[in-house]
Amino acid sequence: MTIAATPTQVPVSVDNDKCIAEKGCTVCVDVCPLDVLAIDMLTKKAFMKFDECWYCLPCETDCPTGAVSVSIPYLLR
Amino acid sequence: MDTLTCSIVERLTSPDAEVRRLAVIDLPYGDEDDIVPLLLPRLKDADATVRTEAVRALEGYEDAEVVEALAPMLLDADAAVRAAAGEVLSELKESASAAPLIPFLSGHTAEVRMLALRAVRALRVDAAFAPAMEALKDGDAAVRREAVGVLGYLRKAEAVGALAEIAARDPDPEVRRIAIGAIGYSSEVSVLPSLTRALTDVAWMVRDEAAQTLGKLRLALAVPDLIRAMQDEYWQVRVKAARSLGLLKAAAALPALVEALAHPIGNLRKEAAIALGELADPRAIPALEKALDDADPDVRKLSRLALTAISLAQK
Amino acid sequence: MKRIDMEFDLVVIGGGTGGPMAAVKAKEKNPKLRVLLIDKANVKRSGAISMGMDGLNNAVIPGHATPEQYVKEITIANDGIVDQEAVMAYAANSFDMINELDRWGVKFEKDETGDYAVRKVHHLGSYVLPMPEGHHMKKILYRQLKKARVEVTNRVVVTRVLTGESGEVVAVMGFDCRTADVYVIRTKAAVLSTGAAGRIGLPASGYLMGTYENPTNCGDGHAMAYHAGADLANLECFQINPLIKDYNGPACAYVTGPFGGFTANSKGERFIECDYWSGQMMMEFYFELEGGNGPVFLKLDHLAEETISEIEHILHTNERPSRGRFHEKRGNDYRKQMVEMHISEIGFCSGHSASGIHTDARGATSVPGLYAAGDCASVPHNYMLGAFVYGRLCGENAAAYCAEHGLGAVSAGDVAAEEARILAPLGRTDGLTPFQIEYKTRRLVNDYLQPPKITRKYEIALRRFDEIREDTSAMFAANPHELMRAMEAHSILDCAEMAARASLFRTESRWGLYHYFVDHPERDDENWFCHTLLSKGEDGRMQMRKKAIEPYIVPIDDEERSAYQRLRVARNAEAA
Repeated sequence: MTIAATPTQVPVSVDNDKCIAEKGCTVCVDVCPLDVLAIDMLTKKAFMKFDECWYCLPCETDCPTGAVSVSIPYLLR
Repeated sequence: MDTLTCSIVERLTSPDAEVRRLAVIDLPYGDEDDIVPLLLPRLKDADATVRTEAVRALEGYEDAEVVEALAPMLLDADAAVRAAAGEVLSELKESASAAPLIPFLSGHTAEVRMLALRAVRALRVDAAFAPAMEALKDGDAAVRREAVGVLGYLRKAEAVGALAEIAARDPDPEVRRIAIGAIGYSSEVSVLPSLTRALTDVAWMVRDEAAQTLGKLRLALAVPDLIRAMQDEYWQVRVKAARSLGLLKAAAALPALVEALAHPIGNLRKEAAIALGELADPRAIPALEKALDDADPDVRKLSRLALTAISLAQK
Repeated sequence: MKRIDMEFDLVVIGGGTGGPMAAVKAKEKNPKLRVLLIDKANVKRSGAISMGMDGLNNAVIPGHATPEQYVKEITIANDGIVDQEAVMAYAANSFDMINELDRWGVKFEKDETGDYAVRKVHHLGSYVLPMPEGHHMKKILYRQLKKARVEVTNRVVVTRVLTGESGEVVAVMGFDCRTADVYVIRTKAAVLSTGAAGRIGLPASGYLMGTYENPTNCGDGHAMAYHAGADLANLECFQINPLIKDYNGPACAYVTGPFGGFTANSKGERFIECDYWSGQMMMEFYFELEGGNGPVFLKLDHLAEETISEIEHILHTNERPSRGRFHEKRGNDYRKQMVEMHISEIGFCSGHSASGIHTDARGATSVPGLYAAGDCASVPHNYMLGAFVYGRLCGENAAAYCAEHGLGAVSAGDVAAEEARILAPLGRTDGLTPFQIEYKTRRLVNDYLQPPKITRKYEIALRRFDEIREDTSAMFAANPHELMRAMEAHSILDCAEMAARASLFRTESRWGLYHYFVDHPERDDENWFCHTLLSKGEDGRMQMRKKAIEPYIVPIDDEERSAYQRLRVARNAEAA
């Protein structure tokens, strides 16, 4: 059996110019209840790794530099 | 120094302000048990964003040294730091915390006076009384608003006259409204004229607050004025008046409430039905029975309940 | 993957609402107690109130309501099926808890003299106390955890409570959702505060995590209690919510109600006779929606601008702040038009209804050393404040239990079996994904378990669940994150089966839409004025039994019953 990799447009986007993950910031990753955000080891920036969002917003409101924005997932809009 | 591996205590004194700020943000959620001694030095940080976060992180730690260190932050050169300090100080709970704030209740800027008054409100200390009375004359409406709040929480008989004066004459409608609410600790008949006058204030929010406060104080002498308020052009005011007439069990309000039971606004019909139940006067039965066929199920339900209340009262 | 062994006196599972309170109160009772609070997310922002809460709707405050009055109202609201002593334990401690939260820094609405601004929402008593700045809730709780020196472990998914020879708690096991390290934590006692089972059904949008409840709350605690041998009560009393269509957030009629907002049909008319958030109200909602008068809307467009601004401020900053963003995209404006509402998928949640892990008035389950608080436990209509009160009771009583008991012996075989079960999906290289298992289970729940309940449908569902259970042995996880979803899929499947078995057992209809059983449409007090309990039988399968209602401590005479009843049901229905 083979496993498919299906692309999907994710609700959480990160402005790399504002993200300061390289300075040790993991606030958005820490606060996500579903653990869907991660720090990219190459770019040293936060990104949404899994499309499992409750659009609850702590990642956006707690981000110390305003780099994270959450939109309502397309299926709900 | 590698910011990703070094300890949070080391990061607190990093040369990079952003790293220091992040460390302050993380500190309350980290492994350090005693965070206050680590945060206090950061109130003097050269960077305003670090100071802001340090102020926020100290919220809820009400030791004397914390309050003494936070109070002067109201004078910080940076507006965000001042605002954060005002917010955090307004969370204080214990009267012992008031002393360092008293010097900021007068003088300084209007912003500082306003934030300091807000901070002492819930502490209910006598030392705030005189400065709050003085601040009722402040040129800045925001300061007067907080001063009224302090006096409302203090609940002193000596302040009733001054609050009544504010309620009647302050140019700012929000200050008048809060003053009317603040009088709500005194059941002295002497407050009656200011409350009934407020029922005819030009601003409906003031009339609304007055109608509510009269019910809270159970001032039976206000019944005629509340009945007049049942004709207010704002139905919100009429709803509050109906609520208060019910609480007062005002028999004289029967015709006004029966009339309100046929008003086009459903919320007013509901409140009238509740009040008629509280009056428990059998003369309301025909009107309530008619309301059992109201288009609004809430009105029907509350009319059923009112009829039950009346029949229980007959027994 | 490592194996990590730990030892505590008390482990609290779930750091949302009741959990932090339980941990703090256990430490206050005995500061020497070794207390661990463990969460599969991060306690900083976990659970149902991760973004705060806009108010209390069951505040029992002197001068506005009495504990006796509250117990009566809940008894009637729950069709008599309550353990009044447990409801009273909440009501009698409600005011102290409000004052304590106030001291901790929670901002309740007060009038200009500092009195709590309690609002009446047309019950007999007044219970609504708004929290205009309720979004600081989690920060306040975390501060108390730190002050009490509670140890916190985040991102560890607890999967089983292990029991000893006499069925008592001896350990909990789980794994790190980032490293898959397996945790074996010996403990004398445990508190389950894992929230609702809110991921059993599928939201109408089809988006798996677009649930009403925080999707982390997927019934882990219900499943763990079951496998540990505990009783679960009245699971057929589902939770179904009135929601904003597609957004799946609460419509908050109880927030807007005191301001004059209401639920309306397509003609803009009020139709709900029962304000209380109950199965009765959901029944009225369901019939209006399906009966030709739908869609159903939240109506605020008749209110004054100042009132709407205040409502917007409360609704858009607390609990589910993305609501404003949703409305903006849809072009919804409370001032100009009504907002479409809908009915949610099913779940278990005692916060709003009455099902969960059975607990008594001390928060104790039927397993020695195991306690449960909040939405996962069975005390009805508890809401957030009930989670705090029962968190406190569980923490204090668990601390007392720890004083009298030592650490029990842990069976090496049990540990090995659970470790193998946890790690199995990581050991496979292909197969079914956790997503597929979860989606199919939840889709079948919608197809067959959503009320109205029909015996034939439930039988089909049970057969299909059995098939999925076999399929789970082919489930594979590519990383520790997917492993978390795989283990959650097991919990979801367990809860789905529990929902079906409990519903088939109670052969009557009760609690409005929550248990509207088409084959048994009447309420049958003669045979079913009782609790139902579900537990694991000797054969390892789910078994059901009845439990008599505990004697009422607040008697309700006929006249009062009719007065309360009149608040709840339509005149026609009452006559019928």
